[in-house]
Amino acid sequence: MDIEDKIKELEIRKEQARLGGGQTRIDQQHAKGKLTARERIDYLLDEGSFEEIDEFVVHRCHDFGMAEKKIPGDGVVTGYGTINGRTIFVFAQDFTVFGGSLSGPLSEKICKVMDLALKNQAPVIGLNDSGGARIQEGVVSLGGYGEIFRRNVWSSGVIPQISVIMGPCAGGAVYSPALTDFTVMVKKTSNMFITGPQVIKTVTSEEVTAEALGGAMTHNTKSGVAHFAEESDNAALDRIKELLQYLPQNYRETPPKIKCTDDPNRIDESLNTVVPSNPRMPYDIRKIIRPVLDNKTFFEVQKYFAKNMVTGFGRLNGIVVGIVANQPLALAGCLDINASIKCARFVRTCDCFNIPLVTFVDVPGYLPGVNQEHGGIIKHGAKIIFAYCEATVPKITVITRKAYGGAYDVMSSKHHGGDINFAYPTAEIAVMGPDGAVSIVFRKELAESKDPEETRKKLVEEYRNNFASPFKAAELGYIDKIILPEKTRPRLIKALNMLINKKESIPERRHGNIPL
Amino acid sequence: MSDITAPMGGKIIDIKVKVGDSVNEGDEIVILEAMKMELPVVSDDAGTVKEIKCANGDAVEAETVLVILE
Repeated sequence: MDIEDKIKELEIRKEQARLGGGQTRIDQQHAKGKLTARERIDYLLDEGSFEEIDEFVVHRCHDFGMAEKKIPGDGVVTGYGTINGRTIFVFAQDFTVFGGSLSGPLSEKICKVMDLALKNQAPVIGLNDSGGARIQEGVVSLGGYGEIFRRNVWSSGVIPQISVIMGPCAGGAVYSPALTDFTVMVKKTSNMFITGPQVIKTVTSEEVTAEALGGAMTHNTKSGVAHFAEESDNAALDRIKELLQYLPQNYRETPPKIKCTDDPNRIDESLNTVVPSNPRMPYDIRKIIRPVLDNKTFFEVQKYFAKNMVTGFGRLNGIVVGIVANQPLALAGCLDINASIKCARFVRTCDCFNIPLVTFVDVPGYLPGVNQEHGGIIKHGAKIIFAYCEATVPKITVITRKAYGGAYDVMSSKHHGGDINFAYPTAEIAVMGPDGAVSIVFRKELAESKDPEETRKKLVEEYRNNFASPFKAAELGYIDKIILPEKTRPRLIKALNMLINKKESIPERRHGNIPL
Repeated sequence: MSDITAPMGGKIIDIKVKVGDSVNEGDEIVILEAMKMELPVVSDDAGTVKEIKCANGDAVEAETVLVILE
């Protein structure tokens, strides 16, 4: 064999690998509205930047006649490349090869890119489309999952890890995405569950479709497992490209700063009238968030889950910030189990990756209810406290209206390490709302009054004027500055500039013990 | 057909629709008083009001069906 023949041999083998499970299977993939693993990578990465590795890896299984069935690549495409010029590592499960099922060698390929990503401190993106464990491989397949999980955990907080679910993802396969920072699901074609509809039917007699059990909207609205739900493969990949612009390459870096095209001193008078004068009326907190950010661009994370808490990214004068906000429009903006988990997770994600936090507060308190108490709101609510107190990134707070009771404390208050705490003149910062406080403090006066209704009205009004304001808190230094809503953007930018070199460390330890 | 349910426990203080009305996605259907706030309960779907299952002043629990659309 001379050199030309050897090159020809390489070309033939490469072509075989490129075809994966063959044209018929590729056509089937397309018929389902799905792209193939390689098409997905090509769309995600900068053109021509993808360098594939391990394209000739095959499985080593001899049982069940598998020795006769070998396909180069063995069901996953792995490698590295760039997105907007920044290095990323990627693996894409190939459903056309043995249904993307996980073999030992397939997991070794995934682990190899995960190891490279960790060593070279760049994000890793997993495109999941797999039928699960390769049953013919037996426990080798389970070992493979375990190796991946351990790498997910070891990479957590070191490099961003992003998962996209673009097909089935069941059983053990779900735990790799669950361990990563963000999960994107494609509507209709993807689902995730530990046990599928058939097993559930056998065991508990419950009948449920795969979509209702673990489809994109189920995990985006009910379980909170996923962060984004997109209409198509392309839309999901676009979402990742956008998300990456708000993330650094690793925990030592900050997200890319871009030149700001929006006036940092921009005053927005519309902000003066967003908070209604009647404290009983709700409003959309995003009407405050968007106008404050550069080019009014807000990238919302977990938009559909726990709508009473809004989380997402934006930029202030080109610097990426994480936004956390109570949403009065949903459940009156009160804190419940889901909102607590959503908030705490996001705060910790930002703290991992040097993203300053801006918190907008309008919270009437915790949601009362037996379900909440029995569901563990105490330990879940504590997660918010843990996350904020532990976070050493710059923390700026804006109280727009209500900050009552324990909910005042937990939402990035001064006491929990808020660096700069602002309040609007409309803020009501007190231990409880006027009605409740008057009933307790003036119980005797109300009981003895000839006209209890009139007395109550007078006392509530008095309390509202004296205590349901930002002034008591400002007198104590719990609020650094009372600001006009229209000047929120310049005030935030000045505070952020001042805090940009913030250095703070918490006491040395093995690791904190967040209430889980 | 879809049900409009109470997002949280509270008191019905206003019903904005009557049987036969056509509603669009995002329309306010009922105003629910909870946590000392007046919260609009909006429709997730477009449709026609088939039945109203609540009345002004009713105390309702979370997930209670308030209005049925078809």
